[in-house]
Amino acid sequence: MEVVDIRPVLAPAISLVCAGLVFLQGSNAFWRRFWSLSAALVKLVVVLSMLPGSLQGIVYVYDFVEFTPGIGLAFRADALGMFFAAVSSTLWLLTTIYAIGYMKGAEHRVRFFGFFALCVSTTVGIAFAENLLTLFLFYEMLTICTYPLVIHDETPEALRAGRKYLIYTLTGGAFVLVASVIVFDASGTLSLGQPGILTQEMGMGTLTVIFLMLTVGFGVKAAIMPLQGWLPTAMVAPTPVSALLHAVAVVKAGVFGILRTIYNVFGVDLLAELGFTMPLAWLASFTIITASVIALFQDNFKRRLAYSTISQLSYIVLAASILTPFAATAAIAHIANQAFPKITMFFAAGAIAKKTGKKNIRELAGIGYKMPWTMGAFTVASLSFIGVPLTAGFITKWYMSLGALDAGEWWFVVVTAVSSILNAAYWLPIVYIAFFKAPPGTVMHVEEASPTLLVPILVCAVYVILLGATVEVPGMPFSLAEAAVNFVFGM
Amino acid sequence: MIEWPHWMAIVVLAPLSGAVLTPIVSLRDRRIAPWFALATMTVTSVAALFLIMRVAQEGPFSYPLGAWTPPYGIELRFDEFSAAISVVCLVGSLAILCSVRYTEWLRELAKPRIPYYYALMLLNLGGMIGFMITGDLFNLFVFLEILSLSGYALVAVSGERTAEMAAFKYLLMGAISSLLVLFSVGIIFGITGSLNMVDVTTRLASVAADATMPAVLALGALTIGFMVKAAIFPVHVWLPDAHAIAPSPISAVLSGLVVKVGIIGMLRVYQIYYGSGILDLTVLNQVLLWLGAISIVMGAFFAIFQDDIKLMLAYSTISNIGYIVMGLGLSTNLSVIGGAVHVFNHALIKATLFLAAGAFIYRTGYRTLTDLRGIGRAMPLTSIALSIGAVSIVGIPPTAGFLCKWYIALGAFEADQPMFGFALIFGALFIFIYYIRMVNAFYFQEPIHKEVLRVEEAPLTMLGPILLLAALCLIMGILGRIPLTFIEPAALRMLAPLGG
Repeated sequence: MEVVDIRPVLAPAISLVCAGLVFLQGSNAFWRRFWSLSAALVKLVVVLSMLPGSLQGIVYVYDFVEFTPGIGLAFRADALGMFFAAVSSTLWLLTTIYAIGYMKGAEHRVRFFGFFALCVSTTVGIAFAENLLTLFLFYEMLTICTYPLVIHDETPEALRAGRKYLIYTLTGGAFVLVASVIVFDASGTLSLGQPGILTQEMGMGTLTVIFLMLTVGFGVKAAIMPLQGWLPTAMVAPTPVSALLHAVAVVKAGVFGILRTIYNVFGVDLLAELGFTMPLAWLASFTIITASVIALFQDNFKRRLAYSTISQLSYIVLAASILTPFAATAAIAHIANQAFPKITMFFAAGAIAKKTGKKNIRELAGIGYKMPWTMGAFTVASLSFIGVPLTAGFITKWYMSLGALDAGEWWFVVVTAVSSILNAAYWLPIVYIAFFKAPPGTVMHVEEASPTLLVPILVCAVYVILLGATVEVPGMPFSLAEAAVNFVFGM
Repeated sequence: MIEWPHWMAIVVLAPLSGAVLTPIVSLRDRRIAPWFALATMTVTSVAALFLIMRVAQEGPFSYPLGAWTPPYGIELRFDEFSAAISVVCLVGSLAILCSVRYTEWLRELAKPRIPYYYALMLLNLGGMIGFMITGDLFNLFVFLEILSLSGYALVAVSGERTAEMAAFKYLLMGAISSLLVLFSVGIIFGITGSLNMVDVTTRLASVAADATMPAVLALGALTIGFMVKAAIFPVHVWLPDAHAIAPSPISAVLSGLVVKVGIIGMLRVYQIYYGSGILDLTVLNQVLLWLGAISIVMGAFFAIFQDDIKLMLAYSTISNIGYIVMGLGLSTNLSVIGGAVHVFNHALIKATLFLAAGAFIYRTGYRTLTDLRGIGRAMPLTSIALSIGAVSIVGIPPTAGFLCKWYIALGAFEADQPMFGFALIFGALFIFIYYIRMVNAFYFQEPIHKEVLRVEEAPLTMLGPILLLAALCLIMGILGRIPLTFIEPAALRMLAPLGG
């Protein structure tokens, strides 16, 4: 049931206004914090206020502006969009709190928090985009808003990374736009509100081009190999930004775009006939394994996290490519199940770097004694990536394996298993070094991170367990993912 | 009021006679000149408004000048394409307003010569308006000369040595193109015995069999002539210097309006040749497509490497004209509509950009991105206007540039020429990159000159027009359907003989 409601517009619009106020009043520390937090908080409240309706199957729509028939900016909060919006706005609030603590005393804080708040706005815009054009618009805006964050330190290295980031993602955006034009030319609509708008009659050539361009365009941000080059270099950014790039906004925007392509542009039935997703599934499998192997050899903490992200994102792509209901559930749920553990890890790495200045894994000996809560949370996140039951990661792997077996593709179960082993191989050593190796110094004091850093870490860790242990996680219930799957498969 | 036929005469005669009168009325006090020019343009704008309302109601209409009926008398003919005079009036008036302070500040422009500056400006605007509404080929040439000659003078107005060089280069290319136009008008008169466009169209159809060669020759000469005026690759070489060196309000007029004369000229040529149906224009369309695509990519590519902000904007004009020409070359309904509306929208956008750049130059005296670093903090309103202009010219929704480019790209796929769709969108990507460079310099990079941070916002006579234009960039994006539906009948009529 569709209900016309302004809230899908309000969610991005209010945080946009707050972002503007950050720019205007940002030189005052109080107002900067106040508006940053307001942007995150108000958005979360607006998104959550739609949740009860969403769970009853109500889809909130709002046509913002129509330029010519079929081309305009429109918003639609369906189950898939709501899930993404709920995940990102929950994490946003936590990241903002963390960033306020982390950036204490840093330079250019007005710019930092201003663009940070703008990203809140654009990510929800992506989640609630009703058509490809709106999606494209916010997808590009996200690129532009994250660029100043990536180059925040303004070192030559950061500027180089920023340039690389722009070239990759803007080119990707151009592909999305070209694909949108072709979709409109072929089907006369850009709507993402149906389970598929393309049909077989449009010709194999056109469909192939559309699929290729959309997967390349969104695949850049989803960091599918070989399009992942920007991600490890963008790690020069401050930690809250990395967390944002990796867990909440940027990469998720790419993955979300691929989900929209598969489920709403093509539709599962058409793709099953065309067989386009099998090569994508293999590419994703390749990415999962290769990125994990590369991660094994990274000593820099954040770089290891970066390659792990590349690997984990392809889980979503792989699961979506399998085209069975169970796998689709895994794909959608993994938006949350990857985000929470990954952001926990980034927060932990950032807290350690902030507190001790240590950025390499081998320097972390004994850090578990100094910062037991931080490293405890880190351990929970590691277990989740390995796929231990009662953590978020287990749910994904379980459903994905079920889905793969449904489709008769047992190979993907093997991929999942190998990936679990690799995950264990690169996360557990960190836990071991932190807790069991003797620190180089003599006397150990507990020197936990400050509360603004620690509270977000712990909340995220709790979410990791909640997501694995219960289907009724506050703010992002599993039934939302199931509702999205039912819509997509017409069940 | 709307029906009164003589608005048509007033809309041309007001600026032309205003041009003659400006130096006279300001003999005693040269400060009168801009306000007199502005008053003239107000009268012209009112007339233009009535004409546009009339064409929207009843479609094209004509006006026999001096009551001599066509095809023997000179006919002024107003169709939907002629509605481009609205933007001539708007941008022209705003450029005059910006010039009030700008000309006083311009050191090289001797103060007593300032009234002539406005006279030239009115002459130029009047020439353009006449060009856009005339229904007579020879008259078309006359107006082309009026606007071109005043254009050369306006480039040279500052009297600097480089300005003179640029104006001379412009003059050389422009004179050749005018000659080509005159040459083909002669040929057409030779084979048809008429100069009235409607009349020529019908007569060409009847003489087609014996006169194919001359008709082709005339078509080629006209196209090349107008291509020079529109600055399409490879005859664009005069544009970057001329547009970059002219005083900024002049640049806005030249870049936003004068190059469009070439486009309107091509539309007229198309109307005649499609209408008469004597030639198959596929080859010409293919040529225009390729040249448009090359212009898009080349213009954008060169713009990336410019440090001089006005030179960068000048190259971006070449790129944008490429879009329009590509739209014409595709010759589908959508692409022609998109191209024709981009004539209008690009004028708004480019005027925003040039006037904003002019405001920076006026306040700081610097004109390169490197020198202007940090200006965003000192002149926030102008910088926001410039950013809106930048976003519009890239074509990001919901700004003015988007819908036109969308229509042209859609036309490319509709016409089964997907490669040009790609060229268009990746051209836009290039453009995006250089505008990001600009915004980056203005807001984020550390200023090189500390005094840049201490300048004030531009004076009201500059800031007002800039903000108004920036607002229009947004409004024309959101209300983008209005110009598209307005221009649609003209495009359909033009392409109707193709049977599409």
